[in-house]
Amino acid sequence: MSDPDFHKLTPRAIKVWQISNFIGNVFFFAIPVGYIFMFGYSDHHFWFVNALFLFVLLFWLFSFLWLPHLIWKNWRYAVDQKEIELKHGVLVKTHTMIPLSRVQHVDTRQGPILRWYKLSTVTISTAATTHEIPGLDAVLADRVRKQISTYARLAEEDV
Amino acid sequence: MSEFERQHPVAAVSRAFALIRGNIVTILIFLFVGAQSENFPFLWWLGAGFSFLLIMGALNWWRFLYKLDGDTLHIKSGIFVRKNLYLTKDRIQVIDITSGIIQRMFGLVKLDIQTAGSSSRQAALDAISLEKATEINRILRQIDPHGPLSQESDADPEGVPAISSDDIRKRIVMPNKELLIAASTSGSFGIALSILATLFSQIEPLISESVIFEYIFDLLPSQTDTLMIISVILIFIIFAWLISFFSTLFKYGNFILEVKEKEIVISRGIFEKKRVTIPYNRIQAIHITEGVIRQPLGYASIHLESAGYGDEKGTGSIVLYPLIQKERILALLNDALPDYQKEIQGVSPPARSIRRYILRTSFIITILTALAFWWLQLNLLIWILPVISVYWGWLRYSDAAVARGNDILLLRSRGISKSTAYLKKNRIQDLTIVQSPFQKMRNLCSVVVYVASGDRGKSFSVQDIDLQEGERMLTEFRKERPAVDDQANPVPTGMVLLPGWN
Repeated sequence: MSDPDFHKLTPRAIKVWQISNFIGNVFFFAIPVGYIFMFGYSDHHFWFVNALFLFVLLFWLFSFLWLPHLIWKNWRYAVDQKEIELKHGVLVKTHTMIPLSRVQHVDTRQGPILRWYKLSTVTISTAATTHEIPGLDAVLADRVRKQISTYARLAEEDV
Repeated sequence: MSEFERQHPVAAVSRAFALIRGNIVTILIFLFVGAQSENFPFLWWLGAGFSFLLIMGALNWWRFLYKLDGDTLHIKSGIFVRKNLYLTKDRIQVIDITSGIIQRMFGLVKLDIQTAGSSSRQAALDAISLEKATEINRILRQIDPHGPLSQESDADPEGVPAISSDDIRKRIVMPNKELLIAASTSGSFGIALSILATLFSQIEPLISESVIFEYIFDLLPSQTDTLMIISVILIFIIFAWLISFFSTLFKYGNFILEVKEKEIVISRGIFEKKRVTIPYNRIQAIHITEGVIRQPLGYASIHLESAGYGDEKGTGSIVLYPLIQKERILALLNDALPDYQKEIQGVSPPARSIRRYILRTSFIITILTALAFWWLQLNLLIWILPVISVYWGWLRYSDAAVARGNDILLLRSRGISKSTAYLKKNRIQDLTIVQSPFQKMRNLCSVVVYVASGDRGKSFSVQDIDLQEGERMLTEFRKERPAVDDQANPVPTGMVLLPGWN
């Protein structure tokens, strides 16, 4: 992890993930609510609903309070003249290497929340897989995209 | 061929049949529903459907034009929305010449040109004469880019110049014995069974109420329900086996593998003949599969991955050789793919990962068995399942191995069947090492490698190898340079010579 070539994501990304998890994971409360509608609220169902509710609540809090920090802390990327390296994963850690000669196309994309925070996601596609660098500063993301496509052109080879 | 041409009119019919084949399930359900209703003139329905399909096919045929322009094939298609498709020579992955039953009645073939994009799916010429197909094939595959194209246009009038044109270095014919074994141990058995089951569930309500059913039922001597069920299942299995036997037989009959200077040509099929041409530099990976039934018999099948779209499922897997004795694999690979390094010193996962392999396969099965045993009061025999799963985990452990060659990675692993993959380093799309918390405790990791294949790509992976080994693979892949000197930092676990078929 001390490799000097590796960069971290833009810290503002944490905010974005917090907002999107805050909104997105609210819908998990539909599970205990749905349970009440199906089975009622009496007897042992009461305890079960409460447990379920508590579980969803804890998950929801975790997902927007802590998880984004963990994700950010574990994300690293590196782009050089020969390959792209991505390291991420909170529990299951992955370390991916993509040779630049295999890159088919790169693009940046923004959702509404990302745009508000002036961030973009860089998407790297090969002939077999698609990888993302989420939450980079929009200017930086553009630079990374250009860098990748320039290097990729230099390393041009067939599929 | 600088003018636009239309295909042979038979293309209309074969297009109609392709439509039928593509919607066979819908049509079957439709037929069953139609057969049940009394007040509908059923034959009318059938006739109208068929003529609709034929008209669609004919329109498609009329609006489909193709032209060979230098080394570019230009196709115009689409009934209302016109689509122009340009296929350039240096982007072609696989060329596929098929002659189905309809085409053969008219001496025609289907020419299928696959590039790495799924849009080339529409670039199939359904029915053209063999001479024309051969000519296009030859021009598009021409080895010397500066060669005079004009001289190629007068193709050999006797037909099949694709074989006679450039010399064949090696010609391998599959013996009948192996074909029969391949057919009888075919993996499509399960698929056939599931199709039969689906069909049966559709017809079952129809026949169980019919007179015939009762008649047959009366004929059977003093049956019990259990006997009935067992015999029905047996009949099913036999039927499914027969279907898979004959479909494999027809598919891989007359199998010939030809090795040429720059490409491999695979011809196969009894009724529907197929000839696939794959240039060497388009082969993404080779993998050898030893199925559970075939492995004890000492047989395996060889596939190769191409970036062309391949079959209907969108995977680019092509059968290089349907069935071969284990001892002969290396010899065949040496003949067919001389530029692959075949035998490499490799590493098995360390002994500390045995536990993980066994737990992974047996954990859930054991719990489920225990629950089922206590709650459902099952026979003691049910405990054979966890025992099998432990054995399966052990098998998976002992089959897993990785090897790093000069320009090649060899990954061997087992899901249900054992698979050995040869991956050229410069064909690998990406390489990932994954480490779960449990693997971290034991200093292990899994390695996942993607190669291009069809639309989506195909992954090969080996689980629970030593973390150091995984990192070494990554470093080596990064530098794209020859193997790390293993003498300098010796691998802690036992070395094995892969693939170890001898």
